[in-house]
Amino acid sequence: MTTTRFAGITLQPSHTIGRAEFSGPGFRNPVAMVRGDEDTMYVVSRSYDYRPDGKRVTICTIDEDYIGEFARGVTTAGEGDPSDADGSLIWPTAIARDAAGNVYVADEWLNRISKFDADGAYISKWGTPGSGDGEIGSPSGLAIDQDDNLLLVDCDNHRVQKFTKDGQYISQFGSKGDGDGQFNMPWGITVDRNGDIYIADWRNDRIQKFDRNGNFLMKFGTSGSGDGQLDRPTGVAVDKDGNIYVTDWGNDRLQVFSADGDFLTQTNGDATLSKWGKEKLDANSEMWQERDIAQGLERERLFWGPIAVTVDDDDNVFVVESARSRIQIYRRQVPVFFGGRL
Amino acid sequence: MAGNDVALMAHLMRRAGFGASYDELERRAAAGYEATVEELLNPGNQPRLEMDVLERRFVDWREMNALEVNQAFWTYAMINTQRPLEEKIALFWHGIFCTGNSKCEHGRQIKLQIDMFREHGLGSFRDLLLGLSSDPSMIFYLDNCMSHKDAINENWGRELLELFSMGVGMDGEANYSEDDVKECARAFTGWTITNAIPRYPYGRYEAGFIYNPADHDEENKTFLGETGNFNGDDIVDLIARQPATARFISRHMYNFFVADDVQVPAWQNTPPRDMETIKMLEDEYFRSGFNIGSMLRVLFNSDAFKNARFTKVKSPAEAVIGTMRVVKDFTSPRPGLNNLAANIRYMGQDLMNPPTVEGWHTGGEWIDSGTLVERINFAADQVGNLDLPGVQDMVARVGSQGAATAEQVVDRCLELLGAYELADDTREQLIAHVGRGGDLVPGSAEFSQRVGQTLQLIVSTQEYQFA
Repeated sequence: MTTTRFAGITLQPSHTIGRAEFSGPGFRNPVAMVRGDEDTMYVVSRSYDYRPDGKRVTICTIDEDYIGEFARGVTTAGEGDPSDADGSLIWPTAIARDAAGNVYVADEWLNRISKFDADGAYISKWGTPGSGDGEIGSPSGLAIDQDDNLLLVDCDNHRVQKFTKDGQYISQFGSKGDGDGQFNMPWGITVDRNGDIYIADWRNDRIQKFDRNGNFLMKFGTSGSGDGQLDRPTGVAVDKDGNIYVTDWGNDRLQVFSADGDFLTQTNGDATLSKWGKEKLDANSEMWQERDIAQGLERERLFWGPIAVTVDDDDNVFVVESARSRIQIYRRQVPVFFGGRL
Repeated sequence: MAGNDVALMAHLMRRAGFGASYDELERRAAAGYEATVEELLNPGNQPRLEMDVLERRFVDWREMNALEVNQAFWTYAMINTQRPLEEKIALFWHGIFCTGNSKCEHGRQIKLQIDMFREHGLGSFRDLLLGLSSDPSMIFYLDNCMSHKDAINENWGRELLELFSMGVGMDGEANYSEDDVKECARAFTGWTITNAIPRYPYGRYEAGFIYNPADHDEENKTFLGETGNFNGDDIVDLIARQPATARFISRHMYNFFVADDVQVPAWQNTPPRDMETIKMLEDEYFRSGFNIGSMLRVLFNSDAFKNARFTKVKSPAEAVIGTMRVVKDFTSPRPGLNNLAANIRYMGQDLMNPPTVEGWHTGGEWIDSGTLVERINFAADQVGNLDLPGVQDMVARVGSQGAATAEQVVDRCLELLGAYELADDTREQLIAHVGRGGDLVPGSAEFSQRVGQTLQLIVSTQEYQFA
């Protein structure tokens, strides 16, 4: 009889979307994404500093149909010069979507939150640099809570602040340090179905969980590369059963933990050629031949710079890779026997 | 005034690093000259850049594929390193072991070569040459991947001898023959690289070094008078033992760290500017077992080095980085780094993309009417920017001793920029100009502006172009 330890979860590679582009179908150094209505999604590209034209938010579908893009980095300035005009981006970090379908994009250089409608039309902005109540220092994570307020990870102030969607300060928790409820340059954030809050405590190499009022509940993760250990975790997501997904940036992998923070499984990546990628190769057919003789092509499967993770209601797990300009999508499978034939 | 100790330290830091702010110079002078030399020669004792934070802010640095991204990184590293000689020695070897992005089109691959210079650049020259021989970007740049046992390509074999180790000749004699070039190329057959993954759709991956024995010429070769079934590492061993190699490396070291000499193509028939110092370096090369760090220790502690102030035209990298380290901008990540890095290119040094395998000609050849204007405009823009912390430090220091005469302001500014010395008539003109505004009373906006203008005038002089 063969037995396997019950891992609680299986990640089935689904498909890969994206390719490296400064405009149009594709992404350039993507840093964040959020799901939209139906099968749509919004992907934030940071691009290179010397190519601000590649900074943008791309709207596309899970099946890689390109819809459009907005918040271009050069809306008013010339090529090579980033613009801080309303609706443009310099160092974008995070994106969130409210109940009405509006999206919010954080910029850690401008210390600014920009609000757009579902189609990408600019609505408004807010944000004041500083360290006082309601002031922000390098916002790095955004999430909408169950009350439709905006939670903002305030990296340089080592705290989390809650705002109304229009930027009115409500409350905060956290301070600099490595004790319970303290942070060191926190990054990603997510809110689970109970309203509890999870923070990727980046430079403390751990995940912390809080209740909706910011009271510390638990933590997991220590520095390292073993199972359950973390090296600068960037993103965190929780599925509908409470399992916790973490992009383990320094270790170039995705780890999955139980609701209690116990290690369940991990993956180093399973990328395949995306639809847009195949189209690019078809347009440069000599590259198909180069791929035939390429050595080390298996590296293409592996994560490089996993920087954000999202899980949707259909159990799709999205892993955004900044250094490969793509998103690897997994399907979460629950190991329950449903009665099919052996 | 701390005087000569600080002036000597400024000299050492300009040469063994990229210059230093006055507070750093004072701190190092207090620690002592020889202790500072030892610290510089042992960079592993100093902290590295915090790459996790840098890759978080410069997200594209995780991948670092484009040339411009790598130039920005190197610029940032030179400004902020706490291991200045590690960066300086990497720049030294990059100027000799040239590899160009114009052919490789993969900045990350060249960056890995520069990393190898950082790691081995102060160690054994033999190890460094072996690292270079198996470096994928070099193998591609000089076509050794196209050299096969039945059809050699001489490019790598030739440049290894001519530009990377021995030089064409010395003391009026040739150092090797055309046959040596061919035999060298035969010995390196089979030293090749993996086939690349194309750049689309997700971006490039680095190539790896492969030794392919099936494509290696196993017959005997006769190289520099010795015969055997030599492989590439045997060739490197033979090269490292040559007096011509000791001479070639010593002359490069002198030209880079001590004083401008004639350019490499003239070395066969033009003796070194300072034969005594070259001899000292050659002796240390053999005594230490080809150790570059040991040669530099002897050099930095020599009178020839200490007395060689302002005998070298700054390279563009030195001109830009030296100014940035004094004005203290880009000491933490912020947008605009690429624009800063581009100034080095505008001044004629496109890092990681030299014009040819011969690299850049140095000394007076850095300067023409265009690059001189770039240098002056760049430096004047920086030191005249009263918002920069390093400029504010200098203004505060100039004013720290109360009201000052024009002469005192000029001399203090010269000192704070790194103990520069002006020709007498230039200094007099400067003093006369600064004095036209009347008394200089610290604490006012006018005082700050006039100190800033004084700094601008100094960096616009011919003298500031010398290190």
